Amino acid sequence: MVDYLWNAQSPLQKELVAGRHGVTAGQAGVTLTEIRGIMLVQVMARRGKAVETAKAAKKLFGVEPPSTPKAVIGKIATLIWSGPDQFLAFAARSADSQFGKLAEVFAGIASLSDQSDGRCLSQISGPRAREALAKFSSLDLDDTMFPPGATATSSVDHTPVNIWRDANGADGEAVFNLLVFTSFADSLWKTIVASALEYGLEASSAHAE
Amino acid sequence: MRIACPFCGERESGEFTYLGDASPKRPNFAVDSVAGPEPAEDAFYDYVYLRDNVAGVMREYWYHGGGCRSWLIAERNTVTHEFGSVTAAPGAGATKLAQAGE
Repeated sequence: MVDYLWNAQSPLQKELVAGRHGVTAGQAGVTLTEIRGIMLVQVMARRGKAVETAKAAKKLFGVEPPSTPKAVIGKIATLIWSGPDQFLAFAARSADSQFGKLAEVFAGIASLSDQSDGRCLSQISGPRAREALAKFSSLDLDDTMFPPGATATSSVDHTPVNIWRDANGADGEAVFNLLVFTSFADSLWKTIVASALEYGLEASSAHAE
Repeated sequence: MRIACPFCGERESGEFTYLGDASPKRPNFAVDSVAGPEPAEDAFYDYVYLRDNVAGVMREYWYHGGGCRSWLIAERNTVTHEFGSVTAAPGAGATKLAQAGE
């Protein structure tokens, strides 16, 4: 029998070239970071069990799961709205992860799907980030329409994406998170890179915090 | 053309797919075939094949596949493409379906 050695690896192994791309003069207009080492579980309330699911989530995370397109920060995870009566629980992968409790807490009332290795998370920021995003997303990402904590499930090039906005970065710029199926990750990455070249792009990867 | 999803807000029409008229009601075989199979078969024929060709406001099924993946019922004017109310179809999210179904 053949022994297989399974290694977790980034879907952007080939596509991600860290460093400066496009226009090199001045500050990079867009920073693009792949966030590695994520824990991600899709939680969907079962039919007629939305109230019970919200209660169980409140008990485990200390916050109500969002009922409108928002991302809320809970005790062991950030809860990202992903549709009516469903959300994504997101956290950094760590040895002392509490995610094992999810199966127990939601047993019989919600369906869970582990997407930790199924999605790829990219973070876009920088003074020209919105202009780059506007080339491939039809969402209005202005401060008034998409403040920190705002979330959307949308499509980019016919590919489903979950987008949510974090608190502003240390430089005061908006930070946008894009979750995409791993098999579409390199395609989306190329799209983002191509959209950002004219503003100067700084690409990198980082472990989730 | 933009459609106001009741869950996501206003989105471009490309995120949605169109099914058609939301008015036909699925016949209930158990109820309609009490007097024999023919009334039920006729009712199913009408339900599956017969559609009005509305010039004006009609209620339609739309699916927000490029967003929250919910079935919606939208009022649209087929002449002007103007959208009226857009609401969640029965059974969207975790809501229980009515027994008779819509």
